Amino acid sequence: MNPLQWLAPWEASFSIAVVTAVTAIIFIRGCLRCPLLFRQKLYFGAGLLSLYVVTQTQIDYYAEHEFFVHQLQSLVLHHLGPFFIVLACPKDALSAGLPMAGKRLIRRVSGQKPVQCAVKVLVHPVAAVIVFVGLLAFWLLPSVHFIAMLDWRIYRLMNWSMALNGLMFWGLALNPDAIRSPGSRIAMMLAVVPPQILIGALLFFTPHELYPIYTLCGRTFTGMSPVTDQQIGGLMLWMNAAMMSVIGILIVIHKELRQPIKLNN
Amino acid sequence: MPNGLFGTRGLKLLCLVLMLTGCNPEKQWQLQEITGHLPDLRFSLMSDTGQPVTDQTYHGYLVMLFFGFTNCQAECPTALFRLAKIVQRLGVNANRTRILFVTLDPGRDSQQALHRYVTAFDAGHAIGLTGTDSEIENLAKRYRAAYRPKKPDSDDIVHSAAVYIFDTQGHARLLVTPDDTIETVANDLRHLLDSLRL
Repeated sequence: MNPLQWLAPWEASFSIAVVTAVTAIIFIRGCLRCPLLFRQKLYFGAGLLSLYVVTQTQIDYYAEHEFFVHQLQSLVLHHLGPFFIVLACPKDALSAGLPMAGKRLIRRVSGQKPVQCAVKVLVHPVAAVIVFVGLLAFWLLPSVHFIAMLDWRIYRLMNWSMALNGLMFWGLALNPDAIRSPGSRIAMMLAVVPPQILIGALLFFTPHELYPIYTLCGRTFTGMSPVTDQQIGGLMLWMNAAMMSVIGILIVIHKELRQPIKLNN
Repeated sequence: MPNGLFGTRGLKLLCLVLMLTGCNPEKQWQLQEITGHLPDLRFSLMSDTGQPVTDQTYHGYLVMLFFGFTNCQAECPTALFRLAKIVQRLGVNANRTRILFVTLDPGRDSQQALHRYVTAFDAGHAIGLTGTDSEIENLAKRYRAAYRPKKPDSDDIVHSAAVYIFDTQGHARLLVTPDDTIETVANDLRHLLDSLRL
């Protein structure tokens, strides 16, 4: 397979292509109107590109046919991609780049009572932690995972839900705001670690194949046994979950330590 | 709000989760049911006798679709042997079933080679299908089956272990795994054919 073929989507998704392109255009327009630091642009670009690459290249084929690659894809969708996007603090740039019609639409939608109620519940730190861990655990339930890997509509729902939930969680955890104190944001990131370690350890220590769908649909690395594949997938969740939270906590602490210096200046 | 979450709404949510996780007390099939989760049978390929065939050619038959290649050492011959035994067990219903063996190695599996291979297992009901690389890739992708073009220096081809069962209308209904016994599969297929007759 030549390098260009690697960039071709395994299963092309119109919605992913459009959302990625529109977001990139809005961000670029915003950057022209409201100057951002180079590293902010770099983080945003890397985050958006990583979300696109893991879903719209041949990586997606391997994610469908090997559990540990699926876990890698989930890690990017739920952790790494959203983490980088949020780290860029793109809110001002996206707002500046949004056309008037888009701003009006967002204002109208966010003014709706049910939307306000839903947002109020979802941004609560306890709810955010439960949804973040619950969603990850739900898609890893063997019977749910079986259908998600078989039915392309549920597969896409899984990937979309992971990416959107990742954006929401890391947005709440990393961005300073008036409602959530740095302590509660650090607590949020700490709270998601033990359940993820537990799920990762369960995957690692289970001696039998939990996800036979990969064997049924065909494994891509024939030399690797299903249990080894599962163990690597479990280890990825186990290690990376803790790693991402630690990095997030260090970023929050770093920002807080810089705060008084800014005030003195 | 917390009361709502753990009250009636919580109960409804739990029911929804149980439905999604497949906790259905009345299990109709012993095999894995996939009704509604995979698209209907649709293809346009060449048969092992050189005839162009489509899904319409097998309309009215219960189709057992399997991806493999004739040089496969273990899984493909085992699967075809099992499928031939299952068809035998169906008795009078055997004539209403077809085993479609789609080659994942169209460069090496000529129509003659395919014909020789499938007829060795079941001359009456098994048909070998071949096509271009892209036709086969599209069909494999449609059913989420692994497919990578064969490397010139390797004999190894990744392929799925599942047999996809389509009803006489071409709807995907069941998935046969290598762990299912011949008797289990034959029972469910008999049951499926009977339900389709009604």
